[in-house]
Amino acid sequence: MSTQSGNKGLKRLFIGNPIATSEDHHQRISKKVALPVFASDAISSTAYATEEILIVFLSLGAVGMAAYSMLVPISLMVVALLIIVVTSYRQTIFAYPNGGGSYVVSKENLGEKPGLIAGASLLIDYILTVCVSVAGGTAAIISAFNGLAPYRVHICCGFVLIMMLANLRGLKESAMLFAPPTYIYVGSLITLIVVGLYRVFFQGLPPIEHTGEAQHLLEMQGSVTAFYFLKAFSSGAVALTGVEAVSNGVPAFKKPESKNASITLIWMAVILGSCFFGLSVLAQHLEPVKDHEGLIPNTVLAQLAEQVYGGRNIFFFITQFATFAILILAANTAYADFPRLMSIISKDNYLPRQFMNRGDRLVFSNGVIFLSLASIGLLVAFGGLINALIPLYAVGVFTGFTLSQAGMCVHHYKHRGKSWKIHMGINGVGSITTFFVAGIVVTVKFTDGAWIPALLIPTMMIGFKGVHRHYTRVRSFLAPTEGYKAPFKTHTVVVLVGSVNQGVLQAVRYAQSLRPDKLVALSVIEQSEDRARLQEQWDKFGLTIDLDTVVSEYRDLTEPILNRINEIDNMYNDDLITVIIPEFVTSIRSQWLHNQSALAIKARLLFRPNTVVTSVPIVIP
Amino acid sequence: MGLKDAFNSKVKPVRQLDAERLVDRFAELRLQPLGELEARDRTKVCGEVKRMTIKPRSGIPSTEIVINDGTGDATVIFSGRRHVAGIEHGHCIIVEGVAYADTNRLVFLNPKYSLLPMGDK
Repeated sequence: MSTQSGNKGLKRLFIGNPIATSEDHHQRISKKVALPVFASDAISSTAYATEEILIVFLSLGAVGMAAYSMLVPISLMVVALLIIVVTSYRQTIFAYPNGGGSYVVSKENLGEKPGLIAGASLLIDYILTVCVSVAGGTAAIISAFNGLAPYRVHICCGFVLIMMLANLRGLKESAMLFAPPTYIYVGSLITLIVVGLYRVFFQGLPPIEHTGEAQHLLEMQGSVTAFYFLKAFSSGAVALTGVEAVSNGVPAFKKPESKNASITLIWMAVILGSCFFGLSVLAQHLEPVKDHEGLIPNTVLAQLAEQVYGGRNIFFFITQFATFAILILAANTAYADFPRLMSIISKDNYLPRQFMNRGDRLVFSNGVIFLSLASIGLLVAFGGLINALIPLYAVGVFTGFTLSQAGMCVHHYKHRGKSWKIHMGINGVGSITTFFVAGIVVTVKFTDGAWIPALLIPTMMIGFKGVHRHYTRVRSFLAPTEGYKAPFKTHTVVVLVGSVNQGVLQAVRYAQSLRPDKLVALSVIEQSEDRARLQEQWDKFGLTIDLDTVVSEYRDLTEPILNRINEIDNMYNDDLITVIIPEFVTSIRSQWLHNQSALAIKARLLFRPNTVVTSVPIVIP
Repeated sequence: MGLKDAFNSKVKPVRQLDAERLVDRFAELRLQPLGELEARDRTKVCGEVKRMTIKPRSGIPSTEIVINDGTGDATVIFSGRRHVAGIEHGHCIIVEGVAYADTNRLVFLNPKYSLLPMGDK
């Protein structure tokens, strides 16, 4: 007893006191607060999107200086893509004021399979959001303190664990937490771009001087091929991740929800687009360098900040910490969405029920834990490097976009509201564009890791289907038909007896109180002398039930018991057998000394039909 | 399937091993195998005591045993007795009498029995 409350106490210490269900209320948030809450994920991707484009050109493509001339065209393409996607999602916001995640939209409009694909890709997407954002945040820290570079993976895992704990406690999507880092980040980014461009154009700020590895990369003379161009584009397209967050969270906005949400979405798009484009222009002039193996510890953003602010001063550190903070927040949005999506999917019976239940802090604890473990696994496997994770990332994101937009097309066609053709057209363009991007990502990055989600999504679908089939089968099996009455069965009770002791006597008394049709005690003995001794005890305590003894010729306990139970079962056609096992309950320290064989018997009997297993405990204080 | 058969012939279930052991043991007695036993025939069978049940009903106790010779089993009931001389787990006995069918088992009621020496084939 005492140990139980002790465990609870430890849990309380870390997780906090339980919260009553009735305490759960969603506060409505204003646009100013909604922007940081929902847009931190999307805006944070500016911290690494430019860098990813450069890595493809410099490190993988080895094109040298030619890379910088490609930055602006690619970022323009990404911004164009952003505009298309945001216009599309604006319509989702109006069509689904109750929150239209990709899973819901595509399942409702396109059917089960597309919905599951969307669900699977979203789940993968959220796991990768955690990984990429945490890796990005860690990279920002390492850029500020280069000495930490060898501990990259450790720092990443530490942050994931801290976030897991915080989310198990239940983080309110509170303004106090989200607003400052997001606004500071946006502010510092805009300052960096404005000051940087001013210094480049009016003060003649030269490009960053490089030495060693970076110098080597810049001296490469490769030419830009279409393959690397597309590869760089698909890397830059990760800037779009998290755009869908606003449309998922429409119900959280103040009234009128849809209007406020769409305005927030546009703000977000403007900030995201202009910051990303501005950074690319700045990078074109300042020529930061980054390789794909993490040999150059500083992020592109850190290199830019260092050059623009003229060294590692207060502005540099503010930029780094703001970057770190927003990336951690971005990871945290996945912690809000992933468990919620898992619970929606498991409510539809495609995932184990455990993900549906909320823990005592009103969060979907199992989802939170699952997300953390999956992220840690990925971070360790990929060494905590963003660019190793990026190829995995974009596939799920764009699959989700495509299906969601396609679902919206069908939605417009079904409802045919005012000017539905225009709306359908917008979503159609969005869907087709994102489909092509998804295709490009899978094709050009297949060997880099895009094969993992390409393989994982179908596998997950099979898993979803299997779980669903199982739950459906169980439910249809259990559903009582019209006028169903549970049948009466012949009830046989078997009491397992080792020797005659208080526990056994209590178990026999209990068995008698059940008033079964047949009651036997069963004992497995090793030698024939044991039987005589047991019989003597049996008579001494005046037990009046039959005593079955079987000898265990091969010193096995479970097998003879099962054989005997089978024999008893065969005597009647419609019988129910209750097996009563007397058990000693001691303390947690010494419990393992007892009941090991009882455990084995229980495990074997669990899958036996028409068998009830009852433990009669005798507590030894 | 060849591999599976080979595996099965090597790794026999304990039940089957025990049956083979008993068949070997009783082979030279040349009595009727329990597997071929029919109700209402006067026969002579043998087997090892596999299970004993003592029914301590007040007034009419009885001892019920199950014998097995590797081919099948039969129940022997000694009514009115809580103890039957020489009947114990692992002992082998020869039973002479007429069996009757009771649900899905064959029962000898108070038959003539003789003990086989222990540890001797």
